[in-house]
Amino acid sequence: MFKKILIANRGEIAVRIIRACRELGASTVAVYSDADRRSLHVALADEAYHIGGSAPGESYLKKENIIDVARKSGAEAIHPGFGFLSENAEFAEMCEKAGIVFIGPSPEAIRLMGDKITARKIAYDAKVPLVPGSEGAVSDVEASVVAGEIGYPLMIKASAGGGGKGMRLVRTKEDFESALRMARSEARSAFGDDSVYVERFVEQPRHIEIQLIADSHGNVLHLFERECSIQRRHQKVIEEAPSGFISAKTRKKMGDVAIRIAKAVKYKGAGTIEFIMDQKQNFYFLEMNTRVQVEHPVTEMITGFDIVKWMIRIAAGEKLPFKQGDIEMNGHAVECRVYAEDPATNFMPSPGTIEYLSTPSGPGIRDDSAIYNGCEITSFYDPMLSKLIVWADTREAAIDRMAAALKDYIVLGVKTNIGFLRRVMADEEFRQCKIDTGYIERHPELINPGERDIKPALIAAAIAMENSTVSGPQSQAAAASNWKLFARRVGVTRSPLA
Amino acid sequence: MTYTFKLNDQIFKVTFEENDGQIELEIEGEKLPVDYRKIEDNLYSIILDGQSITLGVFKKGKKIQVFLDGDLYDLESISEREQRKSSLAASGVQEIKAPMPSRVVKVLKSEGDEVTKDEGVIVIEAMKMESELKSPLAGKVRNVMAKEGDAIEAGTVLMVVASDTAPTE
Repeated sequence: MFKKILIANRGEIAVRIIRACRELGASTVAVYSDADRRSLHVALADEAYHIGGSAPGESYLKKENIIDVARKSGAEAIHPGFGFLSENAEFAEMCEKAGIVFIGPSPEAIRLMGDKITARKIAYDAKVPLVPGSEGAVSDVEASVVAGEIGYPLMIKASAGGGGKGMRLVRTKEDFESALRMARSEARSAFGDDSVYVERFVEQPRHIEIQLIADSHGNVLHLFERECSIQRRHQKVIEEAPSGFISAKTRKKMGDVAIRIAKAVKYKGAGTIEFIMDQKQNFYFLEMNTRVQVEHPVTEMITGFDIVKWMIRIAAGEKLPFKQGDIEMNGHAVECRVYAEDPATNFMPSPGTIEYLSTPSGPGIRDDSAIYNGCEITSFYDPMLSKLIVWADTREAAIDRMAAALKDYIVLGVKTNIGFLRRVMADEEFRQCKIDTGYIERHPELINPGERDIKPALIAAAIAMENSTVSGPQSQAAAASNWKLFARRVGVTRSPLA
Repeated sequence: MTYTFKLNDQIFKVTFEENDGQIELEIEGEKLPVDYRKIEDNLYSIILDGQSITLGVFKKGKKIQVFLDGDLYDLESISEREQRKSSLAASGVQEIKAPMPSRVVKVLKSEGDEVTKDEGVIVIEAMKMESELKSPLAGKVRNVMAKEGDAIEAGTVLMVVASDTAPTE
């Protein structure tokens, strides 16, 4: 096992990895940008080093700076988390060359699965079902030929894409040309590469993915599926495990297929095969994420398997001590991503200072978070504040538990999606598992619920005004002793309680 | 004491009276007996008609944030004069400002273009996401300051829109 591990990330995932390292007895090295000096991962790590400016390009994406810190601090391994350099083959290679273990798959596997067209070809060769479409990037002429073959509706997607950029849904032949032009221009500005491919659009698709874990001794296991169909702006918001939709037969088929892909690229570490599924449980390969996934906790909750710890153990050469048949799933887990954003203005990010925070706890509740009272949510990074995860014995009970837990989640200072999440938990369609990736768009009432009783808010505001004008803390402050006031002025206090 | 609050362009009047430790609030003419306790600086417990309600409250100057049932309400305590001004805002001249440090991705309207209320006028990018800024009123674009690709600070004026009834410069 490693004695010292560098975490090349920030936010809740850095905190999650630090906790896993602690339990494994490894000391931890954090890296941070200008904006992150006060961030929780810096406080929790054993060592912390500044690596540059606040913009990710000046710090968390600076490969050389991070490797330098690893060398200087004597870290033997680097855990990249998700985002940033986690799927950067060049970085994995640089680690190798520097004699530092990259906690993840080989640079080759990252490269192969990172290019969507190559990944599709690997899946095709491994007899994995694919959405009908063009074999790779296409010219404008080829694109319209393929479009004619597969029919409408269809999707145009950027080869280098992700996060919904360079993606266009086309419903009719008439819209095809202009959609193709827009997809190319978006892809060019977002990724510097305007190659696109065309595929059939699956109506009312569900997003279902298989968690894989593979060691360096050729063992590949799947840890069942997660359903992540509740998305906004093509990003997941609510995830659950297992899916409340698929049959045991489909589950087994998906697991087998996912393992075939992993074996084809000699995969090692934790990875996820994402599928799109239609309403008849036909599933098609979407892509592979060659890293730990944001929503990994729901899998941990139903399997009891610590994915982050095992990523580290596998990187250190350990062998998985169990077989597929040893892994069972138990109960149901739901995760809600709590974002600093305003659902009412199309989920626009809401940066600011956390002025007050109160989080839920209790049986079966887990809050993977990196925020605290007084912490700053800057506009440099993803606005996710925390992931609230619950476990219970059935899907219904898990949703009830999540609804109850969300009632205890209070955040002041920035807008959040907590109210929206609460309304989803109460929504009949969600509770009956009638979900697909168009769910949020179909339910504007979850974003703007219309008439609400705001009397309590007005009462609270009046009380706050009254307290600040007549009596309250100010008048008490005036009664404080002159010595205390003197001490406050010069900034010397004996203890925090003084 | 009577307070006037602005919430999403709506005005509410709340009168706060304390008699013998009993609080009586009057909201828009409706009297409500309220029992309240401050649990922490930012956490109030209110009992209203037997309903126990816990709220988060953060006050900074005249701005008050209230967290109720998962949603955050941005209220502002305003004076009589400000109230008159704000009722004029829907018909007048409005600046569209950057809500956060960001980058201008696209300017959707040019000077003189017609806009409807809540129509998207500028696309900005921050925190890995694109967002659309909307026109607060129906009318015409009077000035465009934003240029595509600009890095902008929070509060930077990006565009000025004016309703047809607004006085010309």
